[in-house]
Amino acid sequence: MQDGNPIIEVIKEITSDQVLLYAEASGDFNPIHINKEFAEKSQFGRNIAHGMMVAATISESMSLTFGESWHHSGKVKIRFRSPAYPGDTITTSGQIQKMVLSEEGTEVKCSVLVTNQAGETIISGSSSVIISN
Amino acid sequence: MASKKTDIFSYIPDGKHSGSINYAELEIGTVVSQQKYILDRKSVQKYISAVKDTSVKPETSASNIAPPMSIAALSLRGVVNDLKIPGGTLHIGQELSFLKPVRVGMHLECVAILSSNSVRGEYRFMVVDLNVKDDLNDHVMKGKSTIMLPVDISVQ
Repeated sequence: MQDGNPIIEVIKEITSDQVLLYAEASGDFNPIHINKEFAEKSQFGRNIAHGMMVAATISESMSLTFGESWHHSGKVKIRFRSPAYPGDTITTSGQIQKMVLSEEGTEVKCSVLVTNQAGETIISGSSSVIISN
Repeated sequence: MASKKTDIFSYIPDGKHSGSINYAELEIGTVVSQQKYILDRKSVQKYISAVKDTSVKPETSASNIAPPMSIAALSLRGVVNDLKIPGGTLHIGQELSFLKPVRVGMHLECVAILSSNSVRGEYRFMVVDLNVKDDLNDHVMKGKSTIMLPVDISVQ
């Protein structure tokens, strides 16, 4: 593990059914996600996926890459840059930017990015995790 | 930070909202949501199905550990409901720190405090700090959510 190494990439297709299921799981029934007529009148023109549903792929990627360390020392700071729509295929990727030794272990700082099939940025940000020395 | 427990918000578990809130009157430091919930297996499995999280391996004991983002999702659920977030509100930023693994079945308490409330142009920006503790009173997650809602629906 060293600077520049990628974190494990996660690729997923966003579906309307998945968005509805996430609304039920999260309790977020904002009509922008689940009401076609409401969304058509919005600036997006159609339903969009929940940002946190898309962001879950960052947590998945970090967990796949760093294991249980992510559960007790993971940090993430993200901006939702543009929406993901049902039908989109999103790719979540990232790269180790810096590794800092401390008494607790080694803090691994990463960049994270979620893009759609057109290469547009959906989410950008950073994440970090402390792994044992 | 001054903390004022608000009792005007009623939690509606099905996620449907009633009434409205004058967001312009919400002061910094206001506890906008305080919810206790059990991270039950059904909720966690529903969450995992929704996000199709492949990092969760059901054949191992680790499957008793909930995905960290499920804590965030369930904690935000209380905020969405208690703040009666109107349709058209956008979630524009999120910070999360996962401090302790959370086992399925754990009792959690999430307290959400308004830390910023400002208007820029036609939008109101609100930042809510999240603090989640388990039944041992240990912090399991901290976070900061930034949302943006049109001013015309935020001052009703």
